[in-house]
Amino acid sequence: MRNTMTIFKREYAAYFNSPIAYIFIIAFLVLNSGLFMTGFFLNQVADLRSFFGNLPFFLIFFIPAVSMRLWAEDKRTGTFELLMTLPMPARDIMLGKYLAALAFYLVALAGTLPLVVMVAALGNPDLGAIWSGYIGSILLGALYLGIGTFTSGLTRDQISAVILGIMACFLVFILGVGGVAATIDGWIPGLGSFLQDFVGLANHFDMMLRGVVSIGDLAYFLGLTALFLTLNTLWLEGRKY
Amino acid sequence: MIEVQGITKSFGTTLALDEVSFGIDKGEILGFLGPNGAGKSTTMKIITTFLAPDSGTVKVDGIDVLEQPLAVRGRIGYLPENVPLYPDMNVQEYLTFVGRARGLDSVHLKQRLDWCVEACGLVTEFKKPIGDLSKGYKQRTGLAQALIHDPDILILDEPTSGLDPLQIMGIRDLIKSLAGHKTIIFSTHILQEVSPVTDRVVIINEGGIIADGHLDDLARDAMGDQRVILGVRGAPGNVEEGLRGLPGVNSVKVLDAPGLDSNRGSRLEVRGPFDGDLVGAISGLCRERGWEVTELREAMFSLEDTFIELTRRSLGANHSRARGVA
Repeated sequence: MRNTMTIFKREYAAYFNSPIAYIFIIAFLVLNSGLFMTGFFLNQVADLRSFFGNLPFFLIFFIPAVSMRLWAEDKRTGTFELLMTLPMPARDIMLGKYLAALAFYLVALAGTLPLVVMVAALGNPDLGAIWSGYIGSILLGALYLGIGTFTSGLTRDQISAVILGIMACFLVFILGVGGVAATIDGWIPGLGSFLQDFVGLANHFDMMLRGVVSIGDLAYFLGLTALFLTLNTLWLEGRKY
Repeated sequence: MIEVQGITKSFGTTLALDEVSFGIDKGEILGFLGPNGAGKSTTMKIITTFLAPDSGTVKVDGIDVLEQPLAVRGRIGYLPENVPLYPDMNVQEYLTFVGRARGLDSVHLKQRLDWCVEACGLVTEFKKPIGDLSKGYKQRTGLAQALIHDPDILILDEPTSGLDPLQIMGIRDLIKSLAGHKTIIFSTHILQEVSPVTDRVVIINEGGIIADGHLDDLARDAMGDQRVILGVRGAPGNVEEGLRGLPGVNSVKVLDAPGLDSNRGSRLEVRGPFDGDLVGAISGLCRERGWEVTELREAMFSLEDTFIELTRRSLGANHSRARGVA
């Protein structure tokens, strides 16, 4: 825990030591809110459904850009060798880095809270659905970050890391789309719906937008995130050989 | 303190280390020599548990690097060849981070910070961002990082590379000041850097150890003969012949011939076996002939000569081995 905290502090500070962090957050807020606001006054509905609904696609590009530096930068500059010879398990270091990226994402996400105030002022939104939407968004970000952390560990080049991350996140996204699942089912019966349930995120995320937070959906997000983080650790441990 | 036993490591089809073995006692300083790409860094990465050997064992303080890597890491301070720095942090933040990550509590960290900053000459740079530091200060920051937790063992990979002569002396003095308290391995491909710091060397070439011992012994083994430099003045031209006539002289080479100016003498290099009293014989000859001696000393073999000879021999051995297989 102490180990993880030490790494966390350094990584979290690293985000805010460079202007990129602020550019990221501003871009995240402007693009997301802008996208949301264009439809908001036309629809005249006081809720955040369409805001949350945009996130799974939008974050495919945003999250890998947040996580790309986690390992790739250390590998390029040589600090990777320092980290991997510290007297702590690779898992602790990985967690510190991952949690720092997650905290950064939460800061960006917290920047959207004024939208809640706005819709509450303009109408009478279903606050339960909004909070469960936020829970879903946090879990969604956590999953994408897990994927991004893993792809960042595969390479020493941040550009490769971000592209691999986008592709992997996109895969998780697209497998959840009903049409895609139906097409795969057409080739190999059952495979498409299996992937849609266990890999694809749309069904799990949509439930949360409707205000339902079920154990199954939590298990999906946390399980898949843990899988990628474990793969990341295994890759780091196995690199020695 | 460190036992390296027959480690082999290959990257893809390239054999980086081939059955490398050597050992270091507590408090010893070992110069790890070899040309670029010889396997120095790979060996150090294996000792520090960054890489695992394909076969063979490494024990640090009796602990196997594969079985208990974390315990080994805790005992070692490591400066990799590519100095691991975070350019966005300043020196203080960086050393504090490494100290905490190595488990120091606040009180110890404060003491060690003060000591490291003083010892590595970083007082004026303490608050500067690492990205803005000169190469020399970056190297020192890397060294401070390796010392922060007061480790028993220091592994320094090319600690003086890219530094100017004054900075090199500074790092050398620092390593020497740690002698006796710490077990140190430092690698270099620059030969002159070894002798001022230690005389225990291991020479590696093409993934294999070609020499392990003390510099003087290695030089003797490698070169076979000792060399004596003689300078004489006011002597007739038969000095060379006279020396050749001495028993136990294998060869005589004129380094400086006497010019027309009779005040300038000549200098010669005499070679003979180590077991004979070459200096005594020459001095006797000079007295007998009445030559005025301006210089008479046993020449040290340069590290370069030794190194080149040993490398040449190992190449020869490899070639004959290859022929044997064919």
